[in-house]
Amino acid sequence: MDFNPCMKHQLIRKTVREFVESEIKPHVALMDKESRFPWEIIEKMKPLNFFGLQVPRIYGGADLDTISYAITIEELSRVSAALGLCVTVHNSVGIFPILKFGTPEQKKRFVPEMAKGDSIGAFCLTEANAGSDAGGVETNAVETQDAFILNGTKIFVTNGGVCGTILVFAISEGKDKRNHASVFIVEKDRPGFSVGEIEDLCGMRANPVSSLFFEDCKVPKTNLLGRMGQGMKIGLTALDTGRIGIAAQALGIAQAAFESSVSYAKERQQFNKPLSKFQTIQNYLADMATKIDASRLLVYRAAACKDKGKAFSAEASMAKLYCSSTAMEVTGLAVQIHGGYGYSKEYDVERYFRDAKVTQIYEGTSEVQKMVIARAILSKPS
Amino acid sequence: MLNIIVCIKQVPMVSELPWDSKTGTLKRELAEGMMDPASRRALEAALQIKENQGAHICAVTMGPAMAQEILHQAKALGADVGVLLTDKRMAGADTFLTSHILARFIQREYENFDLVLCGSQTSDSETAQVGPQLAEELNIPAIGYVSQIRAKENSVEAQRHVDDFFEILNMDLPGLITIDLSAYKPRYLALEGVEKAFENPDIRIIDAKKLGLDDSFNALKDSPTRIIDVFSPTTQNENRVLKGAVKKVVDQLFDEYGKVIGSAMGKDLKTHEHDEV
Repeated sequence: MDFNPCMKHQLIRKTVREFVESEIKPHVALMDKESRFPWEIIEKMKPLNFFGLQVPRIYGGADLDTISYAITIEELSRVSAALGLCVTVHNSVGIFPILKFGTPEQKKRFVPEMAKGDSIGAFCLTEANAGSDAGGVETNAVETQDAFILNGTKIFVTNGGVCGTILVFAISEGKDKRNHASVFIVEKDRPGFSVGEIEDLCGMRANPVSSLFFEDCKVPKTNLLGRMGQGMKIGLTALDTGRIGIAAQALGIAQAAFESSVSYAKERQQFNKPLSKFQTIQNYLADMATKIDASRLLVYRAAACKDKGKAFSAEASMAKLYCSSTAMEVTGLAVQIHGGYGYSKEYDVERYFRDAKVTQIYEGTSEVQKMVIARAILSKPS
Repeated sequence: MLNIIVCIKQVPMVSELPWDSKTGTLKRELAEGMMDPASRRALEAALQIKENQGAHICAVTMGPAMAQEILHQAKALGADVGVLLTDKRMAGADTFLTSHILARFIQREYENFDLVLCGSQTSDSETAQVGPQLAEELNIPAIGYVSQIRAKENSVEAQRHVDDFFEILNMDLPGLITIDLSAYKPRYLALEGVEKAFENPDIRIIDAKKLGLDDSFNALKDSPTRIIDVFSPTTQNENRVLKGAVKKVVDQLFDEYGKVIGSAMGKDLKTHEHDEV
């Protein structure tokens, strides 16, 4: 067992870091303040394959392994969690389900444009009455002779305001008269589709999270992803992959907060010595570093399991659960170390603190992750 | 098609330089490596020539095994071949022996080269010696600090910025050019390039024996350069804080430092003393 990243992964990290440090970092604070999605940065990211991270080359992607994918999201989120969110959601729950469950025709139709970054992906499951309980979805799909008609409202859709290709979770009545969930691919220019107001959220403010409306939105039958009634399976598979991305995102936020804290602790003088000379601060830094390291190993293990074709659902949930709680703890301590300045928008740790919280909520709350982990433990024969 | 050799070097990453504050030296074993910025520009110049008129690019570096990383990076960016010159007996070479070893490699393996490109100077030692010395070893002409290259069949036109004017020089090939830090802004590496470079991770590794260096060759001992001392520059500025009411402090500031401030502003502040605004 070797805990050192191989040369390829080191080079992936340096490649992403070089770009984000020079092209994104100078704009992050303003993007957050103005809640602005930076299209001009997206244009620069497109040719570097950020929008087709694990997409096979025949569809124009970079064909990265999952560890490289996690490193990319971690490094991106270390500078801009909002863009890290955009990229991970697009790749993991936007493109991946099409690659995994789509027909060859659907892959050819949707994936190349998405991999280029010309159409940003979104995945919508959450509704006013359905969150952790995916069974509560009310958006429905009625099958006609040549199409499906979708009706319903989705909320808190990441990338909602800028998406071009949307995977929609909807229910329809099966032959057994019971409701079954299915997933439909909707292009943004379909009549009956519209974008609601951008949500005014605590963090991730540069990502246009919004509601999406489907009013008699007609999609051809060729836009059904997988089979009718396969929705829950597609959703759970997509979320397993998505959780590796969100874990990596939380890790990036924690890493950024930690680095700020170390440099501030060395600079800031109180009682005629730097903060770093106080044992309390040293304890904080030691706890932060230990939890970040443990988080990183959990993310890479989940990613490595996926690359080896092994089951990785529980591993992804553990990584997501632990990384998000690490992000919350580490950013909280980072604000504490920075004192009054940490509570001010003058310092980045205030943004890290706001951005961290949602990593415990979306892509399955921490409580849902524990359900997944417990199910995996208890389903094994004892 | 031009046969281009680009000499690159792995240097410690500037943002993560772990200095030993007591000795003032760099803890190289802790430093993350990166491709030296000037040699990355030399590679960019080669890539642009390749894109415009076709070229075969060989990226070569001398260093420890970990320096392979920048060769993979060079291949990911578009170099055709990566070569690592590495041997315990070549470690510790100064610029003189580095040029000698690079020349040995080129003469033995790339006899038909057209153009050698180097960065003007590396970010870790800043000597700017390897390029010109290598040209001397190879007995070919060289132009330093170039910002623009126009390659022709058997010659190149090179432009460089000297003081307040541009100089344009023609040089017959084979020749050597060092690229200035202000030119050829390097492109970002696409992630697909990294993945592809490692799908075909062949790096040629050449040791002292393969280069035909004598059995007695030992770069550390044979290097004529001796480094006497390496230290961080320290500033000797004295800080003074003037305390008291604003008017008194301003008067005191001008009384004591008026001349210094005036000369920095290019004004005699005394003559402006009573100007009404």
